[in-house]
Amino acid sequence: MKFRKADPLVEDLRRVLPLDRIRVAPLERSLMGRDASIFEGGQAGPVCFPIDTGEVQGCVDTARRHGRAVVPRGAGTGLAGGAVPLEEPVVVVTTKMNRLLSVDADSRVAWVQPGMINLDLSRATAPYGLHFAPDPSSQQVCSLGGNVGTNAGGPHCLAHGVTSAHVLAVEVVLMSGEAVVLGDPDGWAPGMDLRGAYVGSEGMMGITTAIAVRLTPDPPAVQTLLLAFDSVDAAAQTVSAVIADGIVPAAIEMMDNNIIRAVEAYVGAGFPTDAAAVVIVEVDGLPGGVAEEADRVVELATARGASVRRAVDEQERALLWKGRKSAFGAIARIKPNYYLHDTVVPRTRLAEVMNRVYEIVEEHDLQVMNVFHAGDGNLHPMLLFDRREPGIMPRVHAAGAAIIEASLAVGGVLSGEHGIGMEKRDFMPLMFSEADLDAQARLRRAFDPGGMANPSKVLPTGASCADVNALDKVPDGVWG
Amino acid sequence: MRAPAGVRDFDPADMTIRVGAGTPVAELDAALAEAGQRANLPLTPGATVGGVLAVGRDDLHALGRGRLRDALLEAVFVADDGQVVTAGGPTVKNVSGFDLCRAMVGSLGTLGLVGEVILRTWPRPPVQQWLAGPCDPRELRRRLYWPSSILWDGQTAWIHLEGHASDVESEADLAQSLGCEPTEGPPTLPPHRVPVGALEAGGFSGRYLVQIGTGSAFVSEPIPVPTPDRAVVALHERLKAEFDPRGRLNPGRDPLAAT
Amino acid sequence: MSPKATLGNDREGSRSRPTLGIDTEELASCVSCGLCLPHCPTFRVTGEEWASPRGRISAMREVQDNGAAVDAAFLSSMDSCVQCRGCEPACPSGVPFGSMMEATQAELARRRRFDWRRWGFRVLGHSWLLNLMSRMLAVAQRLRLVPSKRLGLPPIPLAQGRLRATGDDVWLFTGCVMDAWQRSTHAAVKRVVEAAGAGVALPGTGAGCCGALSLHAGLEDHARSLAVRTMKALEGSAPILVDSAGCGAALKEYGKHLGTPEAAAFSERVLDVNEWLAAQADRLPAGGERGQDITVAVHDPCHLRHVQRAHQPVADVLSRYATVVALDDEGLCCGAGGAYAAMQPDLAASIRDRKLEAIKRSGADIVVSANPGCTIHLANAGVTVRHPLEIVDEAIDHDG
Repeated sequence: MKFRKADPLVEDLRRVLPLDRIRVAPLERSLMGRDASIFEGGQAGPVCFPIDTGEVQGCVDTARRHGRAVVPRGAGTGLAGGAVPLEEPVVVVTTKMNRLLSVDADSRVAWVQPGMINLDLSRATAPYGLHFAPDPSSQQVCSLGGNVGTNAGGPHCLAHGVTSAHVLAVEVVLMSGEAVVLGDPDGWAPGMDLRGAYVGSEGMMGITTAIAVRLTPDPPAVQTLLLAFDSVDAAAQTVSAVIADGIVPAAIEMMDNNIIRAVEAYVGAGFPTDAAAVVIVEVDGLPGGVAEEADRVVELATARGASVRRAVDEQERALLWKGRKSAFGAIARIKPNYYLHDTVVPRTRLAEVMNRVYEIVEEHDLQVMNVFHAGDGNLHPMLLFDRREPGIMPRVHAAGAAIIEASLAVGGVLSGEHGIGMEKRDFMPLMFSEADLDAQARLRRAFDPGGMANPSKVLPTGASCADVNALDKVPDGVWG
Repeated sequence: MRAPAGVRDFDPADMTIRVGAGTPVAELDAALAEAGQRANLPLTPGATVGGVLAVGRDDLHALGRGRLRDALLEAVFVADDGQVVTAGGPTVKNVSGFDLCRAMVGSLGTLGLVGEVILRTWPRPPVQQWLAGPCDPRELRRRLYWPSSILWDGQTAWIHLEGHASDVESEADLAQSLGCEPTEGPPTLPPHRVPVGALEAGGFSGRYLVQIGTGSAFVSEPIPVPTPDRAVVALHERLKAEFDPRGRLNPGRDPLAAT
Repeated sequence: MSPKATLGNDREGSRSRPTLGIDTEELASCVSCGLCLPHCPTFRVTGEEWASPRGRISAMREVQDNGAAVDAAFLSSMDSCVQCRGCEPACPSGVPFGSMMEATQAELARRRRFDWRRWGFRVLGHSWLLNLMSRMLAVAQRLRLVPSKRLGLPPIPLAQGRLRATGDDVWLFTGCVMDAWQRSTHAAVKRVVEAAGAGVALPGTGAGCCGALSLHAGLEDHARSLAVRTMKALEGSAPILVDSAGCGAALKEYGKHLGTPEAAAFSERVLDVNEWLAAQADRLPAGGERGQDITVAVHDPCHLRHVQRAHQPVADVLSRYATVVALDDEGLCCGAGGAYAAMQPDLAASIRDRKLEAIKRSGADIVVSANPGCTIHLANAGVTVRHPLEIVDEAIDHDG
């Protein structure tokens, strides 16, 4: 579609936003066609950059009057294609809504705009000795609105819970144009937990325009351990053993040899490049418990053959985490494309599923890297490939599907923190019955009766719902 | 109608438990205690797991242990048309689809009849301790790292500590330096639950107890609570209409009216 | 209805001539993770994808891989880039953004029929001409004939003292604009190097300009001829010390750009003057008492931090003579970017505002920067900015 000066939709948007905050040039729209996922070539309509709730309402109202869908977008770091626009919707980008609205250090509550960067919030509250606990690997760039949209996780969600547990209230602009506050910053919220139902709805129930977050006090003591193993199996067994021992560390992260080497080439943090796997365990809290639990973790790990390194200072600790958190980006050192999975399995089945993942990858003659939130059982097998290699894509898809099936077979789930978006939409029937999916559709209808908020994501369309196991019938091209 | 009772599936190493919604919370707690674990549900005498979730009231220790709404991982319920629906998933982390089971918390059973749930469990800390004294609850909250509960009646503050022995000891020392002394347990709670905002607005008589950090207080005489926002009411109505168009599920009950 | 599944461009079929001349492997190396975004000054101030490294790479792909037009939106995306290369160290995959941007700018320069820079930057290579014009500019400034503030010009000296060689242990590269406008900085740097016991050799007029500005504007041929002249003027094997981060980065990349063994050997000899001084720590004289009383915030020039990755020695050397505080903005660019501040004044000013906030938070008395571009740009906002070695020079007791 050409955006002429006279395009009535754009004309009307210009009544609610200044000229320079509506982007209509083909290139500017094409840049909105993708996020950090495997999908490319989504089609954006006019791209709007509101700065407050009223302007978002104006954009939504205008889109509705023109019968156009609305897709919200934050920093565009989603991994499931949730922000990829289809069929030229109005794209509402929240990056200019990036202010910290208020901080109440005594009550440990902050109101933020959705475009604020996750790490910027923790930086801003650091002087109070407080931080925002969910720390996705992309925390230096991902927006809090996006965190709400996907119910984002992160290494430190093991003990403290994922985004939903840290969101007290959200202000949402519904597709009717009405703004509503769900939940309560003080904690008082009678009735159904609509706040909880909204968090993780991937932009399909409305647009988040403000968030009241719970701030977490910085722990008085922290110990970070780097455990190196000769086998992935021993590493996975150790993780299960720690949890079974009744310890819930702040974080337990695992990386296998391929990713260790890629990351080490980037950060030079001293990760042992000859180890089959490393596990980063962080325990935090009051000094007594921290010392006791760290010692116990070391005991459990060395009994399984680990060599142990303790981070001696904050600088070393920061370096280890930098290595962990840049893992996804570092893979282009090996192959230009990756397909990242995000299944969760019961923590007792970790070793078993890991082994199965390696088998699957070998069967399909692919390369895999594993870097994941082991303490939660949240796997992130990353299939590496070069999409220019002829005939590679069917193998990538088949291996991905097999990994998902293997995870579900032991009582796991499709996604732990990235969301469903477009990526796993057609896998939903593997986990949910038609009645389950219908109930989710009803929940969404209550928020967005017209289905105009980020349509065609998460819930499979009626047609594909029937093709329960037909993974090879994923529409052509969807997998990039 | 009675929901099925009993523990269905519990591997302590997974730290999740599958139970019938009709299971008494005391029975759940006993089963978990054997494995050194607990779930973050209020141990209301005589109440069932499904019951406390439907009511949606937090435990007294929500400040440190987290909200009740975060304890639920999966709910299996019978919908108005008789179909069995699973909301959520069995693992500690899950964003597969919409978080429908969150809306079941506090719904008073108006969206479906919950038969079975999977809950997240936590290690039971080895040591716990109540203290009380004429201290400033804000000061307590500022100075102590992770108290599991702070209650305040206008004069006296009660504080609950739990964790490793040496940590509880050092935190108790700190609380004592602020004017608290060890005590047996929390005071009896006044019967009516209201938002702290309503309390601060004044115009009430009798005893009150604020549960710090949760936005709620307990009062001996009921006082009017603020009416919910019109848009929130409308969302509740639309949810009800979607899930129970014929009004068969727990008719006449309004989740928003319950406190 | 199923959404139109037009996602994913099948690159197998698009092996046409690379229209922007970007190496195809380099262009394929970005996985679009977005970790570069917060490290990009233009993204930080706009929040818009076209003003981010990821967006710019996508735009390059649109043109080179998918045949999109080089239109106004594309030009504005490319020309708004400061070329600070803050995205490079932030990229876990090591995407060579600078090299892709240089290739793109070279192609754009070929297409631009009129670009004042093509002629303007010629002046930089001829020191007599530059000096003549600078003198005229200085007179014009004093007669208030030029809007200096709007053009981002510093006060230009009417007359400058001559620098004299004192030996041949090290070369001091003096450059073009800096030599014409800020020769007193060279003099201070020279005194500090001499205080560390080295005799300083000075290049003749041949090493006038390093060619960095021409290269960033896509004027590759001109940049190459300047490089050849510079190499010739700095012969031998002595280390080549540079007190301008932008020039230092350019000299260090001669090997890559010229692709000859001589150029590679030349680049090996190039050091930022602070790098060299930090390595002679035991020969540095002690500072006086008063130095520690001033708090100095170090602004890392992008081409020292991101390109040379040698910003640490500045603080190492300076902290012997003054109390040094770091800025808390992770080395985000100040918006100077060579000629950028003149080409994109609005963005440059917004980027500078962020830097000014960080400077304010640091509580420092003065700011130092080892790059003349940053110094001029920040000083225009009313901040006192000096070269770090000027502080050192004043702290050293030269007679003792």
